[in-house]
Amino acid sequence: MDVLKSLRAIGQPLRRKEDQRLITGRGRFTDDFSLAGQAWAVMLRSPHPHAAIRGIDGSAALAMPGVLGVFSGADALADGLGEIPHNPVPSTRFDVKLTGRGGTPVYIGEHLLLPVDRARYVGEPVAMVVAETRQLALTAAEAVMVDFEPLPWVAETAASAEPDAPRLWDALADNILVDATFGDVAGTDAAFGAAAHVVTMTARIGRVTGVPMEPRAAIGEFDAQTGRYTLYAGSGGAVRQKHELAKVLGVEPARVRVISHDVGGNFGTRNRAYVEFGLVMWASRRLGRPVKFRADRSESFLTDYQGRDLISEVSLALDAEGKFLALRASNLSNVGARCVSLSPLSKGSGLITGSYDIPVATLRSRATFSNTMPTQAYRSSGRPEVTFTIERLIDKAAHELGYDRLDLRRRNLIAPSQMPYTNAVGSQYDSGEYEKNMDRLLEIGDWAGIEARRREARSRGKLLGVGFANYVESSIGSPKERADVIVRQNTVEIVIGTQPAGQGHETSFAQVAADLLGVPFEQVNITLGDTDVVSAGGGTHSGRSMRHASTVIALAVSDLIDKAKVLAADAFHVAPQLVEFEEGVFGTPATNRSLDWFELAAQARAKDPAGLRVRRDNEMHTPVFPNGSCMCEIEIDPETGGLEIIRYSTVDDVGRCINPMIVHGQTHGGIAQGVGQALWESFVIDPDSGQPLAGSFTDYAMPRSDNLPSFNAEIAEVISPTNPFGIKAGGEGGTTPALAVIMSAVEDALAEYGPIDIDMPATPLKIWTAIQTAREAAEETAKSELVA
Amino acid sequence: MRMVSLTVNGAAVSREVEDCMLLVEFLREELGLTGTHVGCDTTQCGCCVVHLDGVSAKSCTVLVLQAEGAEVTTIEGLARDGELHPLQRAFREHHGLQCGFCTPGQIMAGAELIETYPGRLDEHAVREEMEGNLCRCTGYHNIVKAILAAAEEMKPGMVSEQR
Repeated sequence: MDVLKSLRAIGQPLRRKEDQRLITGRGRFTDDFSLAGQAWAVMLRSPHPHAAIRGIDGSAALAMPGVLGVFSGADALADGLGEIPHNPVPSTRFDVKLTGRGGTPVYIGEHLLLPVDRARYVGEPVAMVVAETRQLALTAAEAVMVDFEPLPWVAETAASAEPDAPRLWDALADNILVDATFGDVAGTDAAFGAAAHVVTMTARIGRVTGVPMEPRAAIGEFDAQTGRYTLYAGSGGAVRQKHELAKVLGVEPARVRVISHDVGGNFGTRNRAYVEFGLVMWASRRLGRPVKFRADRSESFLTDYQGRDLISEVSLALDAEGKFLALRASNLSNVGARCVSLSPLSKGSGLITGSYDIPVATLRSRATFSNTMPTQAYRSSGRPEVTFTIERLIDKAAHELGYDRLDLRRRNLIAPSQMPYTNAVGSQYDSGEYEKNMDRLLEIGDWAGIEARRREARSRGKLLGVGFANYVESSIGSPKERADVIVRQNTVEIVIGTQPAGQGHETSFAQVAADLLGVPFEQVNITLGDTDVVSAGGGTHSGRSMRHASTVIALAVSDLIDKAKVLAADAFHVAPQLVEFEEGVFGTPATNRSLDWFELAAQARAKDPAGLRVRRDNEMHTPVFPNGSCMCEIEIDPETGGLEIIRYSTVDDVGRCINPMIVHGQTHGGIAQGVGQALWESFVIDPDSGQPLAGSFTDYAMPRSDNLPSFNAEIAEVISPTNPFGIKAGGEGGTTPALAVIMSAVEDALAEYGPIDIDMPATPLKIWTAIQTAREAAEETAKSELVA
Repeated sequence: MRMVSLTVNGAAVSREVEDCMLLVEFLREELGLTGTHVGCDTTQCGCCVVHLDGVSAKSCTVLVLQAEGAEVTTIEGLARDGELHPLQRAFREHHGLQCGFCTPGQIMAGAELIETYPGRLDEHAVREEMEGNLCRCTGYHNIVKAILAAAEEMKPGMVSEQR
């Protein structure tokens, strides 16, 4: 492709087109919209983790002033509303194929807008109250009487998977919905049988929640004249919401318009449909006026789709020289009360061998229902979990077998000469220079200076710990994308079906289109997020957007050039093949005339109001594998267990980088979310009552400005051979190794106390307790030795 | 219902309001100033920070009646005569925002910090002072950079090199 030889906008840290409105308070977030005559909906939510619904009596609430309606699951069913058609099994040809037991289809539970039989988690909406104001609706919701009959429940992951655990769904004999085995079982057994060493561990990656700063909101409006529904709701992809919600409402997709302008953070939580989106549209039809819903923060904590929650039991076989021979893993994912996505389990399953050349592996992947909010892809879905597992296992192997942890990794890293590399569970890594990432990282993170810094910290009474991790992850995502390219009077408009929530698509996509078209970046505008304009598209998740968008835009521009050449040929009175296109200008050697995009578009418009435009669809299944290395330094105060991050460095191979400023920003945010899970964040559920204990920012510990350092992030660009621009993906690489690298640093800092088993989050209390326990044990040993 | 009168972004406004109406509700719903956001209900996220008589205030914890007679500045009123405030420019220049939802609160809190901080600012001080404003996108790295850059522009010599 010629454009790669003369990049102007691509690769530059251009400032964002999005920012002007957002820094002046003129963003368009869902809650910023209010429609004339709107009423307010409030959800009545289950206080029980599991309870049969014996009856719902809304009569007292209905009698209150300003109350317009009380709606139950039975009402919704009577009105013909259907289930949300989740398709949780990832669908590209390269995704790991998860099944139920014995290869059976995966049973996912039913997801009605309001349940008719039971509430299956704390916070599940069981009725909707609509009133003139939000305040009146909140008050009226208190008066709705629900006859709950509490049932036995289970929330914890391992307990949920037990055969005699309380059962969520009658359709299954227990809670296990996925049980599939991948890899070479006999080969793995043989390799383990012949191994000099076997190292084993159990990794527990607990449950967290995404916490986008904008609580989710929705406005539904039904137009009785046209029979059309309009939904204002920020999401990870308006097109998907439109199609799924049309199914719920039982109407053709053309009768649903979804508007998603500015979205205040997503991180995976907004990729799947929420029941409230369907409920406000239905309520609008029933009441004949717009109906608005806004979650408060407690509702967001309870009922945003959540993340992680995986247990991995893993063993590594090594030969006498420290070469990895085989890996065996058993991963159990907690999907919550119903299955909306198996992305975390699936994505992780394809990456269990990490950045290392491990010839054979076996993986058993299982998923279990539990009485908890459903989990979904969350910031680097599935990859931080398996990266944590393999990297911590290698640290353990190094420690147990007496290897240097970097040396043991170097002995086993996949070499560039092995690319493309097919790992032991069938994932084909496209490209990467893993050891080079590692070398560069050790340089920018000053690995050589660690021991001096350790001594210096010690002189201040602090324990310095250094963490290290490599990672490789996959970016797959929904395979289809569409772009419309329209040449306007003095600008070019690109309409595309991704859905940013801060990733800067209006800027980076314009950079790509500008270079392809040969027009200034300032003259390209990107249109997103209104399904009456954006007709198709896969949304934004899994690091897919830059790669899919740049590819389909390149194809569309190529079509547009062909179309423009015909117009130019007409104007020049020559054959189209004699028209040349260069740097935004069409000319021909036959004459000295030339025309630019806007002149040609004016000519086109004169003939046909549609003017100069193309629509192009693309389907791309091949995954890419971003990769990198990460290290951090922490200091622990042994007297308090307090921990401070001193340095944090990363090298991330994102493939071609379109806008380094944006990629760095994505990496920084990704790091914070990974570090958050390792050190502070946890969606704790009380084991005695099943009640979530994280309902506000008081009891869910967010990363804050004063507990993070500035980051030393470097981009490596190993061009991927799988797409025209060689893009992999950026951002998730910040999160993917963060869990492993932080826990590795904690272990290193506490090395003198012996092996310490601390589960994430590594809070000061856990660290302090571990130190005290180790000190007491050491004192006991010393005493008994004295006695002896 | 009672009358409340105050000055918002330089303009006098009077409205009859419910006693329980919060300042943020008044700004968003009565005046249509939707740049001030609601990110929590417990005064912990900082998305709703405005200047109340020149001081940063989380407008989700102020009743509008408490603001009687006060001067309120919101993100919409920070730019003067079409000129962006230096911190607004710095947020764009240093990529201090991604989704932009927390940004109005960050900018309002940061602007007041630069205006009123008694000593010299450095990274450590900015991080400590800004811990009441949550951001989920940026990891704070570029927010801190933006505030330091604007501080140096507005008050040359205010920023010290190291902590």
